[in-house]
Amino acid sequence: MNVEIKHRPAFATVFVTLAPGESIIAESDAMASMSSNVGMRTRFNGGFFPAILKKLFGNESLFINEFFCESGESAQVVLTQPTPGDIEQIDLAGESLFFQPGAYVASTPGVKVSMAWAGLASWFGGEGLFRLRVHGKGSVWFGGYGGVYQRPIKGEYIVDTGHLIAYDPSLTLSIGLSGGLFSSFFGGEGFISRVKGEGKVYMQSRSMDGLASWTNGHLY
Amino acid sequence: MQIELVGKPAGTAARVTLAQGETLTAEVGAMIAMSSQLQVTTASKTKGGKGGVLKGIKRMFSGESFFLNSFTATAQGQEVIVAPSLIGDIVHHQLTGGTLVVQGSSWLASGVDIDIDTTFQGLVAGMFSGEGLFWVKCSGTGDLLLNSFGAIYTIDVKDGYTVDSGHIVAFEDTLEMKVGKASKSLVGSILGGEGLVCKFTGQGKLYCQTHNPPSFGQSLGQNLKPRS
Repeated sequence: MNVEIKHRPAFATVFVTLAPGESIIAESDAMASMSSNVGMRTRFNGGFFPAILKKLFGNESLFINEFFCESGESAQVVLTQPTPGDIEQIDLAGESLFFQPGAYVASTPGVKVSMAWAGLASWFGGEGLFRLRVHGKGSVWFGGYGGVYQRPIKGEYIVDTGHLIAYDPSLTLSIGLSGGLFSSFFGGEGFISRVKGEGKVYMQSRSMDGLASWTNGHLY
Repeated sequence: MQIELVGKPAGTAARVTLAQGETLTAEVGAMIAMSSQLQVTTASKTKGGKGGVLKGIKRMFSGESFFLNSFTATAQGQEVIVAPSLIGDIVHHQLTGGTLVVQGSSWLASGVDIDIDTTFQGLVAGMFSGEGLFWVKCSGTGDLLLNSFGAIYTIDVKDGYTVDSGHIVAFEDTLEMKVGKASKSLVGSILGGEGLVCKFTGQGKLYCQTHNPPSFGQSLGQNLKPRS
């Protein structure tokens, strides 16, 4: 499998070349185009019941698609995300990573995509009751709206909820107010994610919530 | 006519330099800036071209405007800068007698020797391709500028190619487009979120855009307030 992320950072898109017999798993609606020798199988996102829970509480899609090369020649699949922005690749060698809703784009078959409980606090913070967990061996592609950047954490760190897209499982996440009641709601920051422990967080430089509230303010 | 693309790929604009007497026809509202020795005419047809009111009305169905703006240089080396309203890329296609079928809102500007007409790709393709019922048909010889949401990538189709609805920018009419299912099973295609796709056969050039306006609209629209 040969994978290239092109058109970074504004319109990052994953161009995948599959050798005969190879396949790739992708988020629902991620496929932009593909050669005619690519087959597609649709399955529940992590099994029937987890998929339904994910849909209802996690704001995740019910189904994911597997694209496979079905001829003796190599095949091409182009995968993208709904928002303009960057896409990152992470290679897992047995470890896991948590994703916030909407960040996951695609993964190789050796990576298991499952669901983990995120807690009521996360739900109140607008991030969903469940979070996506990827673990195993292989590569994962995920993206954000705007630029995607990473920061190693040791101790405590605070990220605005709409900007956090992925983090290591070694970190614990709690949702809180950015300041007192007054500054939280009038200062425009609202809920924040408090990240504790040692590991990496991935953030996006823009948020769809931010775009929506900007747009709302300019509609008349 | 000399064309330079600047600000690629997120905020691409086309800087077009015209020799005396040359004309560029552009989408209404596309002009950002221009030199002073340019004559601007607004009409429902290209300068010196065929068609009139009817062509303009047809064009409205394809998602373009009724009127077109023509910029004619009355002196040497006049410059006009054009850009689409969405963020995204522009591709410069050289037409040499063939025909390019362009997705409704992707036509940005072209030279006067290119005829801009509206074409119907069939009811099924129109209703289910996600691209609208009518397409813009560009034929003739000259420079053609197309815009996209996201970046543009080119595919030279030989053995068939599949594009998800919302990702087509334009294709040469030597290709045939059919609407089909993304996977063998219809249920799988719909549940998988890919729904119906456009399948191309034949040989020719195909321009795709990396991002899909309906998908972006969906992720933004759920947070927008209803109009009061």
